[in-house]
Amino acid sequence: MKTAAPLDPISFIISFVTEYYPFIIEGFLTTVEMTFLGLAGGFVLGILSALGDVYGTRLMKVIIAGYVEFFRGSPLIVQLLFFYFSIPALTGLNWDAFTAGAVTLMLNSGAYQKGYFKGAIEAVFKDQLMAAKSLGMTFRQTLRHVVLPQALRIVIPPWTNEYISLGLSTSALIVLGIRELTNISKSIAAQTFRPLEVYLFASAIYFIWITVSMRIFDWIYEKVKIPGLEVSM
Amino acid sequence: MFTLENFLFLLQGVPNTLAISFLSFALGFALGIPTAIVKQFSPYGLGYVADAYISVMRGIPVLVIMLLFHFGMAGIIPLFKSAFLSATFALGLRSGAFQSQIFRGAINAVGRQQMMAATSLGMSRWQAFRHVILPQAFIVALPGLGSEIALLIKDSSYAFVLGVLELTKYSDIVRKATRSFLYPYLIAAILYIIITFPVANYLDRLGSRLKTKYGLR
Repeated sequence: MKTAAPLDPISFIISFVTEYYPFIIEGFLTTVEMTFLGLAGGFVLGILSALGDVYGTRLMKVIIAGYVEFFRGSPLIVQLLFFYFSIPALTGLNWDAFTAGAVTLMLNSGAYQKGYFKGAIEAVFKDQLMAAKSLGMTFRQTLRHVVLPQALRIVIPPWTNEYISLGLSTSALIVLGIRELTNISKSIAAQTFRPLEVYLFASAIYFIWITVSMRIFDWIYEKVKIPGLEVSM
Repeated sequence: MFTLENFLFLLQGVPNTLAISFLSFALGFALGIPTAIVKQFSPYGLGYVADAYISVMRGIPVLVIMLLFHFGMAGIIPLFKSAFLSATFALGLRSGAFQSQIFRGAINAVGRQQMMAATSLGMSRWQAFRHVILPQAFIVALPGLGSEIALLIKDSSYAFVLGVLELTKYSDIVRKATRSFLYPYLIAAILYIIITFPVANYLDRLGSRLKTKYGLR
């Protein structure tokens, strides 16, 4: 059989995309799914630990500090390996790579989001808390109607950064063998022997995704921000 | 069973982790300052180049850059045949973009008035920048650089995917060899925390001490 002349990069990209597009889409969707799972879980954990750190007891603060230090101080890859291999050995709980990965991303993102939420909560001035109290509002009412509406707006710009960094960090899931975009690209690169074009193509997908999401979050922030209440964190 | 020997074996990964992170930090420093200057003054309208570099590095996972270098570009650039160097250059390139933003923030924090004061004393804009703004900007940038080093130390673990023998790789080897599932990764995580914490903390404190010393805000 005669071997075909190697394709030029552009034709090659067209040919591999037409051949492998179901896998690329699957990988991209897994990446997005993992990012949103991590962000959503991290959002809940982040708000709770920020509230605990600002208003909680001493013991709560110590536990939260330990949690944050562990997840912010060590690499995501090590955390993924730890949760996938060590937690089952420790607890007998058997989970698949996808669940372990999602839980790790949630815990990791929660530790980072805690810092942003804490900054935003503290940016709501103390006098407002006193004013709310003097109006007879309970602590929960103050939180619900005074602190969080402001804090959740202030937090959007730093939160966007967390979205970007978590979105890009999902590439670490390759160590658990999860079929996200980086892992899929690696397989396609190995099958086609054209790693340069495949990885450039994957980079372009990541880049477009991140850039478009950033624009969307900036737009949302412009819509909901309170003029005059902008805090740099 | 996880023994003392295993622990000592694990420690052998630390030098490579440190080498990757500090070399890539140095590379990022060397790239970050010119990028910050280009973005600040935009000579010959080159500001767009700096913008493009920063936004590309912000939008692509560093692991994909490593894979691109090591598997995609080793044929073009022989340097990237080494997994270690691919990882270091990928991290360094990204760090350059991040550090340029740290420096730019610091340059802006030092302020426009000092630039005006210096130029009114007869210094050229470049002289003012070189002798007045930059030395102060370094001090203001120290805490940011501290967290950048911490980020690099943590992200050097991506080199594990390329097979570089660094701390994460060693912990994986120990896990496979000893079938001890708990300790290798836990100890690796703790080692990372022990390495990152003092570096970031030291630069943070040095920054605030020098700020007080030189009366910067």
